[in-house]
Amino acid sequence: MTWLTWRQFRVQALAGLAGLALLAAYLVHLGLAIRGGDDAYRSRCGAGGDCARALAQYLGDYQNTLLYLAGLLALVPALLGMFWGAPLVARELETGTHRLVWNQSVTRTRWFTVKLLVVGVATIAVSGMASLLLTWAASPVDRLAGDRFSTIVFGARNVAPVAYAVLAFTLGTVVGLLVRRTLPAMALTVLVFTVVQFVVPNVVRPHLMPPVTVSRPMTADAINEARGLGSITGGPVVKGLTVPGAWVSGTSELRTADGRPLAQDRFDHCFRDPPRTGATGTFGDTAVCLARLDLHVVLSYQPDRRYWAFQWLESAIYLALAALLAGYGRWHVRRRVS
Amino acid sequence: MTDQNSPPVLHAEGLTKRYGRRVALSHCDLQIPSGRVIGLVGPNGAGKSTLLQLACGLIAPTAGTLRVLGARPAADAAHLARVGYVAQDTPVYAALTVGDHLRMGARLNPSWDAALAERRIAQVGLHPRQKAGRLSGGQRAQLALTVAAAKRPELLILDEPAAALDPLARDGFLHHLMEYVGELGASALLSSHLLGDVARVCDHLVVLAAGRVQLAGDVADLLAHHHRLVAPRGELDRLPAGLELVRREPAGAYERAIVRTAAGTPPPAWTVEPVGLEELVLAYLGRAAGDPTVPAPSPEAAR
Repeated sequence: MTWLTWRQFRVQALAGLAGLALLAAYLVHLGLAIRGGDDAYRSRCGAGGDCARALAQYLGDYQNTLLYLAGLLALVPALLGMFWGAPLVARELETGTHRLVWNQSVTRTRWFTVKLLVVGVATIAVSGMASLLLTWAASPVDRLAGDRFSTIVFGARNVAPVAYAVLAFTLGTVVGLLVRRTLPAMALTVLVFTVVQFVVPNVVRPHLMPPVTVSRPMTADAINEARGLGSITGGPVVKGLTVPGAWVSGTSELRTADGRPLAQDRFDHCFRDPPRTGATGTFGDTAVCLARLDLHVVLSYQPDRRYWAFQWLESAIYLALAALLAGYGRWHVRRRVS
Repeated sequence: MTDQNSPPVLHAEGLTKRYGRRVALSHCDLQIPSGRVIGLVGPNGAGKSTLLQLACGLIAPTAGTLRVLGARPAADAAHLARVGYVAQDTPVYAALTVGDHLRMGARLNPSWDAALAERRIAQVGLHPRQKAGRLSGGQRAQLALTVAAAKRPELLILDEPAAALDPLARDGFLHHLMEYVGELGASALLSSHLLGDVARVCDHLVVLAAGRVQLAGDVADLLAHHHRLVAPRGELDRLPAGLELVRREPAGAYERAIVRTAAGTPPPAWTVEPVGLEELVLAYLGRAAGDPTVPAPSPEAAR
């Protein structure tokens, strides 16, 4: 059965391997270039130069590229689910060859299990290799940027991408088993997996562990660190406040000393017509004006030390879902399909 | 050839298969002894393919029981090894070569007969390097049949095996099938709507129409118990006990009919002619289709 599975999977395996080889070559090249950039930054910084500028330049050189690569790595599980998972059973049902292979001296459940295991192991190998190489290539930048917990980077490093790929592949296989036609199965797999990949980081991940909350006084400096100021429905807010190395999952509205939200008109006054003080900084006089109001926000975040707990926890959830799907597929192939 | 102790090849009790509301097979009772070549005949949509798919375990019955070689179809790997099946559209893996198919058979079947497979492939003019996707319909059927036969099953189930073959290939195939069954003491169950083929190779017959078994039995017994009577008009309305009217064939002053006689019943005094297998099958199929010449009181007789 292993032989047959491999014989049927050969062409797809070679295509996947070719794709992986291209990606690997580029990642090795990039990893070496990043290490070169890292050395340059350290020598400039160590020689008494402007460390902050050297760092900004070094990170600026590679962070965007790494972000694109994180996007690319997010595609890998979807592609594996689509091209390795969905056709695995659907093509047999579509072409009727299940009626040939189910009448060899191998039970359907064994047939299904072996197919799932053989191609599943290949899925783990390819996604693991891709994730390993990107994690290695990006590690000097990640160490300095301190953003490994941010939504996009988190899902593109270490073990999480492998768990994503295992789920996408199993999902593709089971969808193919239910839909029985390859193309619709491929489309449906990508659709469902995309929804999962949107829901988990935004809805599930923040609740994997209760977040740590901290009240941060809004001094002029603190306000100037923010990425944006504004008022959406619900009161005036600051956006883009960070905690070093942590993943900030929620920021409250601006609150006054007694814990109530800042009144809209007081915010508007500072925002549109602040007293002139000649202050510099991102928000200038507005920051100074707001700082005088003795404001604070409550940040909820997952501290950096929980990074690995989150990697394993999220991976475990994906693997458990994949196991459930595989178990359902096994039951379905034995009882329901003809 | 027949081992009296071996379980029946096929034993169905109240076997029913529904697809949604459509009834494909309804309360079928069948008992087929082993060592036979069984012909399954009936019009399109009669439930032939359904019965064969049930027999090889591809589908499960809605109600009733079916035992093949004494066990539930496709019960486990060992039972799968005892039953060979070729689906009607003779599926093969288009991307694999003929040789790959034989390798698959060898790896997936413990009792694989490589010599038989290679001999058959050579016999039908296939080359191991040929891609199965490029074969003609007939060649594909031969490949599928080879894979099914070389696992040396005790029961070989073939759904319309001759449909894709040209007359010469069909002749050869039926010949080999007979040889194979004889050699191994295996049974074969094949569906066909070519009554000539069935008459030639089968020694047991199952007539299926409208999802029900119309007739089943060894061919020799069936022929011995069916007769064509020729009697004066009206006489056939009053058949003696032990005679069952199958089909009436009005013809002028005399009437002809095919009747079934119960065991031990002497044929009636009217002129009796033998019945051929094809006529017999057609008579039962005509009766099942509600042919007006069939049921007992015809309009004339009622007058």
